[in-house]
Amino acid sequence: MSTTSQGTRPAKLAGSDSVPKSPRPGAVSRQTRRTAYLMLAPCVIVLIVLAIYPMAFSGVLSFKVDPLYNPNVARFIGWRNFEDLFDDFRFWQSIRLTVLWALLVVSIQMVLGFLLAILLDRKMRGAGLLRSLIIIPVFVSPVAMGLTWRFIFEPVAGLANWIVNTGLGLEKYSWLSHKDTALSTLMIVDCWQWTPFVALILLAGMQSISPEISEAARLDRIRGATYYTRIVIPLIRPVIMVVILIRLVDSIRIFDLNFIMTKGGPGSATLMASVYDYTIFEQGHLGLMAAYGFLILILINIIVAIFLNTLYRAEKSARVADAN
Amino acid sequence: MHQTSLGRLINVLAIIVVALWLIPVAWVALTSIKPTKIINAPEPTFYSFTPTDEHYIEIFDRFMFHRAMINSLVTVGVSTLIVMILALPAAYAVARMGLMGGDIWALSILSLRFMPGVVVVLPYFKMANGFGLIDSQLALIIVYTAFGLPFAVWILRSFLLDLPKEVEEAGRLDGLSWMQIIFRLILPMARPGIAVTAIFTFVFSWNEYLFSLFLTYDKATTMPVALQKTIDLYNVLWGSLSAGAVIQLLPMILVVFLLQQHIARGLALGAVK
Repeated sequence: MSTTSQGTRPAKLAGSDSVPKSPRPGAVSRQTRRTAYLMLAPCVIVLIVLAIYPMAFSGVLSFKVDPLYNPNVARFIGWRNFEDLFDDFRFWQSIRLTVLWALLVVSIQMVLGFLLAILLDRKMRGAGLLRSLIIIPVFVSPVAMGLTWRFIFEPVAGLANWIVNTGLGLEKYSWLSHKDTALSTLMIVDCWQWTPFVALILLAGMQSISPEISEAARLDRIRGATYYTRIVIPLIRPVIMVVILIRLVDSIRIFDLNFIMTKGGPGSATLMASVYDYTIFEQGHLGLMAAYGFLILILINIIVAIFLNTLYRAEKSARVADAN
Repeated sequence: MHQTSLGRLINVLAIIVVALWLIPVAWVALTSIKPTKIINAPEPTFYSFTPTDEHYIEIFDRFMFHRAMINSLVTVGVSTLIVMILALPAAYAVARMGLMGGDIWALSILSLRFMPGVVVVLPYFKMANGFGLIDSQLALIIVYTAFGLPFAVWILRSFLLDLPKEVEEAGRLDGLSWMQIIFRLILPMARPGIAVTAIFTFVFSWNEYLFSLFLTYDKATTMPVALQKTIDLYNVLWGSLSAGAVIQLLPMILVVFLLQQHIARGLALGAVK
């Protein structure tokens, strides 16, 4: 690296000589811009080859029939894959389930996360330690914890059943293999993992509120719930929006936990989009899998667009209300 | 600060909530040192058992977990290094060099982070198949590089934007080249940001499952996929599973304490500091 920079040094010297003469501050010489593009190029090339190209490849594949176990018969079939999906009631079921899942878990996690953030927003000794401990679930792999949770919900030796049995006097139950409880069990695990994520980010937002503001609120005797609804939430609204957005997208994409804990079962009670897409792969319909993958991408974009649009309207009407 | 009794009560509540929240993590650690008979008993045992290392021995002897550990370390370590080498100049270019549409470049790169894995895993599978790279560390290194890069560029950019501009301007007046400015001036100042970015990049790939599931089956499997092999249709070895899970989790607990106050910033993609 040092040899290249030595080698180009005379040219760079000439370039930087012109900097003080530049008429506007912040104006960039052509040389600088060229260097900037050169520095950006390796990263962009890697992303084009490894992200954009695969996506385009998937796009092309979605118009083909391409059986995994018999690649020789691969050929273009137009919109057939998409038509097949739209005719498949399990496809619509998985889309409905995914949207329901995303809305429910994100709402629960936002509410619980906010409460948890308030609880941790304290100036006690060891508060930093508590914050470090509570975030551990976010950093553990969904596979390791998904399997551990399966053990916890195990019908005979599981901890959850022992608590339900001795604590509440209810019968032991096979949580993950009944279709009325499998989805809610999955939700419990997802909320366990991601509520701390929401809490920690909201907490960081709360702590960026300037002491003058919270002091003024205290002097005005604004306390408790009023303090949080009137002062905190409006101030950290941008942070709240970012958290909702990240969680929405990640919930729609969910694969690991869903796959590890239920594989979409029992029946199709927890068959969400990404896992359903995987089962199409297992059946060997590569074209169909690519088509569904693309529809998931579109679904994410639609939900994000709706979210941002509603947000924009709400902000606008709030501003109008303020003006009146 | 004046502590009211209500305040003290809330402090205690906070401690209790955090303790309850971590029960599953404690449970997996406890299970990993319990004898199998006690693990499978209908009544859970909390402390009255003789700790055993049988599951740790089994996960290495029978499931060859050390191979998965090495695969995880190599693929995640090497890809993190490549990501950082590619991301640093790119992040600097979009943050500081007055690139036209620098923010748009940065946002477009970030948007790739939200791509569903199932959309790209099939092309990866086909490409790896075509190059004979199925079940190789190289395939995972390449994929994890692509997978980590968008986040790394975005978050590094946010750290670089925090640095004072004056140092670089002085450097330019002294006639340093851009590369010299980055390596001699920026690198030392941005060290915490670079470390945080590298750790996050490492974590995401360390826990990654879908790509490893598609691209490896035996020689190159990483820990998340290897863990799942303790479970087959008829028999679940909860003890071995827990031992493997603990081995996979331990570095992450270290990571949490290393990242400290930077955690929220990384998780929120730079939206909070």
